[in-house]
Parts: sequence; C-alpha cells; structure tokens
Amino acid sequence: MSHHKLEVKDLHYIYPDGHKAVNDMSFCIYHGESVGIIGANGAGKSTLLMLLMGVLFPCQGEVIVGDVHVTKKTLPFIRQRLGMVFQDPDDQLFMTTVYDDVAFGPRNYKLEEKEVENRVLQALDIVGILHLKDRAPFKLSGGEKRAAAIASVLSMQPDILVMDEPTAGLDPKSRRRVMGLLKSFEHTRIITSHDLDMVFDLCERTIVIKDGEIAAQGLTSEILVNAELMDSCGLEVPLALQNCPVCGIRKTVKQPRKKGNDETP
Amino acid sequence: MSNIINSLYNIRLLDDLARKETAIHKIHPLMKLLTTVVYLTVVVSFGKYEIGSLLPLFFYPVMVFALAELPVKPILLRVLFVAPLIIGIGILNPLFDHQVFYLGGITISRGWVAFFSIFIKCGLTVTAAMLLIATTGMDGLAAALRMLKIPRLFVLQLLLTYRYISVLMEEVARILRAYSLRAPEQKGVHRNAWGSLAGQLILRTFDRAQRVYEAMCLRGFTGEYNTGGYERIRVWDLAYLAGWVSFFAITKIYNIPMFIGSLLTGVVK
Ligand SMILES: Nc1ncnc2c1ncn2[C@@H]1O[C@H](COP(=O)(O)OP(=O)(O)OP(=O)(O)O)[C@@H](O)[C@H]1O
Ligand SMILES: [Mg+2]
Repeated sequence: MSHHKLEVKDLHYIYPDGHKAVNDMSFCIYHGESVGIIGANGAGKSTLLMLLMGVLFPCQGEVIVGDVHVTKKTLPFIRQRLGMVFQDPDDQLFMTTVYDDVAFGPRNYKLEEKEVENRVLQALDIVGILHLKDRAPFKLSGGEKRAAAIASVLSMQPDILVMDEPTAGLDPKSRRRVMGLLKSFEHTRIITSHDLDMVFDLCERTIVIKDGEIAAQGLTSEILVNAELMDSCGLEVPLALQNCPVCGIRKTVKQPRKKGNDETP
Repeated sequence: MSNIINSLYNIRLLDDLARKETAIHKIHPLMKLLTTVVYLTVVVSFGKYEIGSLLPLFFYPVMVFALAELPVKPILLRVLFVAPLIIGIGILNPLFDHQVFYLGGITISRGWVAFFSIFIKCGLTVTAAMLLIATTGMDGLAAALRMLKIPRLFVLQLLLTYRYISVLMEEVARILRAYSLRAPEQKGVHRNAWGSLAGQLILRTFDRAQRVYEAMCLRGFTGEYNTGGYERIRVWDLAYLAGWVSFFAITKIYNIPMFIGSLLTGVVK
C-alpha cells in the first residue's frame, strides 16, 4: 500500500526569527514501519513533526504522503491520513468534557452520532480512561491528559500515527499500556522520544537528529548500542543495553554477541 | 493569591453545572433559548416606575434554580460582577428625577423608584442568561442558535470567544502561580512586574491559541463546530415553552400583585 509511505526530501525549515531548526533532512518511511526519532532537547524533533503534519511549511524541500505532496491544498487529505499527538496535551484538549474532546475529530468528518460514540468509547477504552469520559480535561492529571490526547487521535483512526513524546510524564503502568497500545497498532508509527528504552522496544528503525540535521539512521539495534554516536548527539545508550549496575555483567541483546560475554556465572 | 487562581478556575463552573441531568437540563436547548428570550423581552418591556408588576417575574429564576438544582450563591456572585455597571447606568435617575410619589403617607422619590426598577431588571436579565448557560451549556446553546438559522460565523465566533476566555484565564492562573511561588512574601503582584507579566500573558495566550487552533485543524476542523446531534423536540419541551410563555403573558397583561392585593383586601372587607 504505497499510500502509507511517507517521504521527506531535502527538508529545510527556518523559524521566522532566523533560527535554523531543520536543515537538509531526507528519509523515507514505509507502510507498517515503526520509526523512532531521537535527539537532544532542541534538536528539532517537534519542528520536524510539525512539518510532516503541514502545521508548518518547509522553506525548501518537500514532504510526500503516499503520492501526495503536503501543501495547503492537500491538507484535508493529509490530515485524514495522519494523526498527531502533541508534546503538550493542554494544546490538544479544549472541549468541556473528555468525551466531547475525543469526539471532536470524528464529528468533523460528519460521521453518524452512533458511530462517533462507538469510536469514542473504543478509543477511551484502549487508553484505559473510560471512567474519565465525563470529566473536564483541564482537571485531569498530566498522565490522564496525555491518555486523553492519545484517545482523541485514535478516534480518528489515522493510517499513520505521529507522536511527540507519548510516554513523557506517565507512570510505569501507563507507560507500559501506551507502549503495548503502540505495539498493537499495525499501521505506520513515527515516535519521538527521550525514552530510549521505549524506542528500543517499539521501533525497528531509528533516526538520530542533531542540531536540525540527521546524524544517523538505521536499525535501532545498531544505532542505540553505538555509544560514541549516542554520546556525540547528547544521548545515552538505553539502560536495558548497559552493563548491569550491580554485577557489571553485560546484558544479552536480541542479536547474539561474542560467545564469552554471554555466559552467566 | 490562591484565591485569585481558584476563582479563575471557577470560570468553568457554568460548564460543569451544564452537565447535570435534571429535568430542566434535559429540556431541548431551543425551547430554553426561546423561553429566555421571551422572558427578557417581558422583563424589559415594563415601564420605568412599574416595580410592583415586576415581582411575579422573580418566580421564573427561582423555579429554574430549584428544579435544575443549581447552587444559588456562585451564580448570584457572578451576577454581582455586573452590579457596578448597572449602578453606573441607573444612578443618574435619582440625581435628575426629583419628582416624588406619595404612598400611604410616605414620600418616595421617583428617581429612586426608577433606579431600583433598572437594578431589578438588569439583575433578572443577567440571572436569566446565566441560568440558560448553566442549564444548557455553550455547545447546546450554539446548536439552538444554528437551529434558528443564525449564520454559522456568528455562532462560531461566540463559541470560540467563550473557549478563548478560559484559555486566557488558565494562562493567567499559571503565570500568577509561577510568580507567587517565587515571591512568597508579597501580596499581589509588585508594580515592577506588571509590564512584563502583561506582555508575557499576551504572547503566551497568542501562542497557546495558535497551537490549540492547529490541533483543531489537525483533527479536521474546517470552520463548522460540530457538537453532536440533538434529540428531536418532544411534546414536553413544547409544553415547557408554552407554559412559561403564557405565564409571562399573564404577568404582562394583568398586574398580579395588585390583583392578589385587591383579592386579599376584598376578603378582609
Ligand atoms: N516558535 C519558535 N520560534 C523560534 N524558534 C523556535 C520555535 N520553536 C522552536 N524553536 C527552536 O527550534 C529548535 C528546535 O525546537 P524543537 O521544539 O523542534 O526541539 P525538540 O527536538 O522537539 O526538543 P525537545 O526534546 O526539548 O522537545 C530549538 O532550538 C528551538 O529553540
Ligand atoms: Mg519537542
């Protein structure tokens, strides 16, 4: 299904104040792939996502979803395909109840109220906050707000899910649930995060961004263990891949390492 | 400072109240809107000096308060916000209108009568509007306005303004909280910080409103604010409207207090 392909060519973006946030990025994401975008604070991850969604328009270069270029004209089409969860859930929730908020998207597509209800309840159930449906969004805790924000995008049933730091501020259980949810989603996923363990768990492919440029891209299992690369981009090898802090033993990674290292005493 | 923050957060009280499920809340929004419009018209239609005939009209807000189980104090407090405005409008009456009435041996200035009549009328109309929002909610109201074929743009304007106020208020609350946590010894905000706080506020709310709008667009917002379908108008809804309208008509046509008064005096005689 080529219409789920997402291609970025020579992307440049300069903020109105002259700050070069994205500089000559090119990559391609195929149907069903799950791609992690990592980088230090201010590397340009959120800006890149805004460019993908057509919230910002590139100064140079282009974004192509399927066979369609992202331009002002094609926005309605693009936005039905891509769903984005913002970094700050407060930006996303503005209706009086969680229910109405999650229903906002489907209602904009003029669905039957019955179908809207189905989708809303299903989305709320997936993220596990069905019991909060009649609460006002601004009265929720940070993690609950995030769950609501994710539900508000799921209810639109997008083909490509774009998430800006989906697990930031979640407690371990909720983080697991969101991760499980992302794992079960069979469409294309683009996830930015500082939670490298999650990226390691969820994404086959990773793009590392440094100062608005792509520093490296490739298989997650190769990139995240590259301590030198990670360090130079202001990141760290995820905990799950570091030596055990108590006994100093190297943990096993998916692919087999040198024989001697693997043996446990 | 926490008081300010609390009361700012309470701005959404009306939204919260609108989510109750009493008999009044379940009545169709359009009928409640029409009832309120008729009520306002009748209240305003009484003459400058007719305080007596206004009295039966208190019956409507009292009934709605009771049936919709609304808390009286917070809503009346909100009505009081406009009191200075009302006084500003009405206060010239006692100053310029020096003629007097004689009522059972007491002299009453016509100016003051007119002032109180304005005060009562404004109080009643503002209360009625608050009650409408507290029992219907802004979204329901918008749906009702659309049913009346009010242009989409106006309704949207109304809704977004209403939403924007709360965005603004939340931003104010956050700034004040951040300020007060780092200036614990102060009461209120120091004069030196006013400028930068106000500037921050404008920039931040602009920014926030922009991002909220972007998030709306990402979810398919194209200018039509869809609030979900509304049930059809039932007989009971029509009865509600008809009931109140006939009551208002009676208070307009007959002077009920006088009628009751003469009835009582008739009995006494
Ligand atoms: N509205 C703006 N105007 C000017 N510069 C901006 C604006 N928003 C972001 N920037 C700058 O662009 C750069 C990239 O910002 P971006 O938000 O994309 O970072 P990020 O990778 O998402 O960081 P984080 O991990 O902290 O979320 C930063 O240096 C930031 O200062
Ligand atoms: Mg970011």
